[in-house]
Amino acid sequence: MQRQLTFKRVSEDEEIKAAGLNIDFDEIAKKGSMSKEEGLIAKWYGVYGSRQPGNLMTRMAIPGGLITAAQARQIADTAEHYAQGNINITTRTALQYHWVKIKNVPLLLRELREEGISTFHGCGDVARNVAACQMAENCPHRVFDVRPYAIECAKFIASCRDLDNLPRKYKINWSGCTAGCAQPYMNCLGIMAIRCRIDGHEETGFKAVIGGGMGWQGFVAQDLFSFVPKDRMVAVARAVGLLFRDHGDRYNRSKARLKFVVHRKGIEECRRIVLENLRQEKVSTDGILSEPVEELTPPLPERPLVDSELEKMEGPAVVRIRIPKGEMTAAQLRRVAELSEMYGDQRVYTTNRQNLELHGIEPEKVRAAREEVHKLGLSAEGVSGLRDIVPCVGKTYCPKAVSTTRDLYDLLMPVISQDRFRDIDEYVTVNITGCPNSCSPYRITDIGFRGMRIREEQGSVEGYEMLIGGDQKAHGQKLGDFKVEDCPAIVETVLTTFQKLRHNDETLTACVNRVGTEPFREAVYS
Amino acid sequence: MKYEYEKAPELREYSAEQGKVDAPRDKKIIAKDIPCQEACPAKTNVPLYIEHLIHGDPEASYRVNLECNVFPGVLGRICTRPCEDRCRHNWTNVNGPVTICHLKRAAADGASETVEPPAPYFEASGKRVAVVGGGPAGLTTARELRRLGHDVTLFERQEHLGGMMRYGIPRFRLPEDVVEKEIDLILRTGVTAYTGVDVDSAKLQQLIEEYDAVCIAAGTMKVKPLDIPGVPPDAIIPGLDFMAQYNTGKIASLEGDVVVIGGGFTAVDCSRSSARAARRLLGEADDVTIVYRRTEQFMAANKDELEEISRENINIRTLATPIGGTAKNGKLQSVTFTRNMVAPGTENGKVKIVPVPDSAFEIPCTHLIVAIGQTQEFDILPPGVSPTEGFRTSHDKVFVTGDFATGSDNVIKAVANGRAVAREMDAQLMGRDRLRDVVELQPIDNDGDTGRVRDHDLATRCAMPLTPVPQRAHDNQEVETGFTPEGTCVNALRCYLCHYKFEINQDKCIHCDWCIQAAPRDCIKRVSRIFYDEDDVVETVVEANLAHEATYIWIDSDECIRCGKCLRVCPTEAISMKRAGLTVEKNHDNDS
Repeated sequence: MQRQLTFKRVSEDEEIKAAGLNIDFDEIAKKGSMSKEEGLIAKWYGVYGSRQPGNLMTRMAIPGGLITAAQARQIADTAEHYAQGNINITTRTALQYHWVKIKNVPLLLRELREEGISTFHGCGDVARNVAACQMAENCPHRVFDVRPYAIECAKFIASCRDLDNLPRKYKINWSGCTAGCAQPYMNCLGIMAIRCRIDGHEETGFKAVIGGGMGWQGFVAQDLFSFVPKDRMVAVARAVGLLFRDHGDRYNRSKARLKFVVHRKGIEECRRIVLENLRQEKVSTDGILSEPVEELTPPLPERPLVDSELEKMEGPAVVRIRIPKGEMTAAQLRRVAELSEMYGDQRVYTTNRQNLELHGIEPEKVRAAREEVHKLGLSAEGVSGLRDIVPCVGKTYCPKAVSTTRDLYDLLMPVISQDRFRDIDEYVTVNITGCPNSCSPYRITDIGFRGMRIREEQGSVEGYEMLIGGDQKAHGQKLGDFKVEDCPAIVETVLTTFQKLRHNDETLTACVNRVGTEPFREAVYS
Repeated sequence: MKYEYEKAPELREYSAEQGKVDAPRDKKIIAKDIPCQEACPAKTNVPLYIEHLIHGDPEASYRVNLECNVFPGVLGRICTRPCEDRCRHNWTNVNGPVTICHLKRAAADGASETVEPPAPYFEASGKRVAVVGGGPAGLTTARELRRLGHDVTLFERQEHLGGMMRYGIPRFRLPEDVVEKEIDLILRTGVTAYTGVDVDSAKLQQLIEEYDAVCIAAGTMKVKPLDIPGVPPDAIIPGLDFMAQYNTGKIASLEGDVVVIGGGFTAVDCSRSSARAARRLLGEADDVTIVYRRTEQFMAANKDELEEISRENINIRTLATPIGGTAKNGKLQSVTFTRNMVAPGTENGKVKIVPVPDSAFEIPCTHLIVAIGQTQEFDILPPGVSPTEGFRTSHDKVFVTGDFATGSDNVIKAVANGRAVAREMDAQLMGRDRLRDVVELQPIDNDGDTGRVRDHDLATRCAMPLTPVPQRAHDNQEVETGFTPEGTCVNALRCYLCHYKFEINQDKCIHCDWCIQAAPRDCIKRVSRIFYDEDDVVETVVEANLAHEATYIWIDSDECIRCGKCLRVCPTEAISMKRAGLTVEKNHDNDS
């Protein structure tokens, strides 16, 4: 198809978007294929290509990472009807199906709609699934519960038709404190609940950071506002969206994200534009501060989500369900929904390490709930620890992937599951991403792998770039590029070296920050 | 050391990432990548000047042309366009080549009157050089010698400079003011020109004694004779004479039938000019016929011009050779021809023909113009001086160039030869090669933004607007009137801009294949093996279907449309874009 012959400096995708964002999935189902244009616009409705020809991925938006038990059942049923009975959890707490046939897309979308589940803005150049702390309402370290704000934000932003066509995706994350479990510093907009003293008064509100992101070029988010009153944070999220909409690069999609806007314009200028956007929309900027405030946050544990920390919780408990590779069957999800009704608050929570949680469990019923989880062939222990490896779907499903991340998962699991590493179980995390898009954020974890192919004398083999010592404020440092077959031995060496070098309760990242990468490099390469 | 894997070597095409390079491979790669420039005898930087047009800067485009092409306004109208035959659109698309020649004209038409001549290469050398002949070769030689710092005096036999451009090509194809403007640019470099000076053997001997070097660019003015039984010799008008008279207004009108014999540039121009002189453009009365012994394919006119010949009611008879004629009272009545047929084999690179027995036919003829070629007037050379090889003669100080060196040829080759002989003369005068040809590589960091998209390839060419046939006879009005700005833009945007080179840094590439998926055509390939020629230029590749077989991901510049999508989609910034161009630089290697 021939489009305009001009020198307008926009990408082809922008030209397609400008022609309209509506799509008729019934017509597509009838003809059995999608044009290039339809393939792009389908993303706005959560429908994305798949590595398997004839199949599609369909992603549901799960605002705040929360679904009701009824919704969980519906998702499970729909999976059985149209997606070979599989459901995957994403690192942004959304849920997605693979194996969806094109003819079934409209049926699937309607079936989900029956329980109020939407795939709208599941993908595409829009505000993606708005994520929140997985334990927003019950974490002992929370300043206040941010989940209602996250859900409200998701609804509001999704209702803004003038934010439907952004230069690229826009990721928003709400955290109940500054510990960073929800990964605010790697989001376009990271929002953290804070308690602080302003003009002698104790206040609670939000701190906002913008311009973080993974992808090929990792960026750590920068402070936008040191304090935003609670009633205006959602408006600020929109104002940041407008900043992105108006100033993002619409020619080079690989440099389009908000992080590049912040990098290019500088945080000061971005702040000025956001404030101007707020004024334009008649939102008061009084009380929105950018100068440092005195935060009154008590000391936070370095890893609040590890098992030992959760055991310190009082009141209604949390039972966590470690989902290997983030993929579960419809039967498992359906049973988890039942468990939430039997033991919990009739809700199922999704997490950014691709797991599920049940909340509101009476402490005396925790054991029973865990046993039920074990009966599903799943583990209720080791979440957020060494064995909780987070792989993206990799070449198993993703058309973008370079490496089969699940193969590496299978290779690493026996190594890290050795008893000799139990003492460091809660001090090391491993993420594996199959391509530079970093869907599994490999830069902000203790050990991160990013898929690649390594050239040989003739041909090439699958491999990984390996980083160590990352967290969301200081990304991991490169240890090397390794063939996949070598990765298990290298991980074993890194863990053993860490055991030798660590002080007290140091995490691997803390250890790398203290001693540098050189001791690990020496151990690996010698 | 563990985990230091053995890898196939990095794949780089040019010998360096940037800067000026001159390895044999560099010159081979640029020749292969930019086929239009390679095909141009003067090595005009075609994609660069078209790019300037795209950006609405005809003046910059003109300056690029001026550098190598010397007469962009002239050649933008009458060039034989070898570049267009090699344009990549010929083998990657269905809409024909880019209108390279006419875009050159668009640059010339759009450039201001204040364009300056190209800058000199060197300061004054103190050497004095004479150039004999003020046609395209002589003028080019004079300009280039001036740029090299020499004191140049040019001698022209005719009243005005320009040679064939002024006297041989009709005004309706090449207006006089276009020629004058570009000659003026040459004279502004400081060339001293004397017109109306007939340089004969004695005068040449004098010049050899007075000057440090002499270059003869006297063209081919000696008409090849054609004796046709029954045709009075004085009834035959030599083609060159006809054109000179026509262009100087000495032939106002013709009565009766005109027959032009020949198939070269002059013959074609004679036929079109006589059609005007005879006011036969609309076939009012009598005939103008051009007769050529071979097929149309071997006539000098390109397809567009042949079409115009037909529109102007000129008969074309091919495969016919004159064998006789009839005259009455000393006045020609008709010419008799025999038919030819194509025979197996070739003759001087052209199709072989043999006469058809008993096939004579007659064409009524009042005026017979014969334009079957012309040769050099070697008798202007002093005794003992004769051409040897290339631009050399048996006398150290005497050089030859243009048609005088090569025999009758076209303007762009005359320009190329003029530039080449100037360099050779300079080397002799100064005792060393002071310039060297290099490939300049310039990394461009702009997100691969050439401005191109695949849709530009698919655009239909805008045709050259033409003067309607009924108006053509009036005042020798130019037939091709030039593109509109929109036409220029559409035609320019079709250019692949082959001077941009996209390459993958194999050490950064992770074989994600995103570039392959984004590519608009089969321009990026998985490659398992690469074979190089003796200069390390990629000769052939073995493509791989499977990921594990792929050693490299490789951009095939023959297929690349320079849209930059691959660069923008590459997640590892492995893909880079650079601009490559042929240029010259001062040669310091042999500084004394």
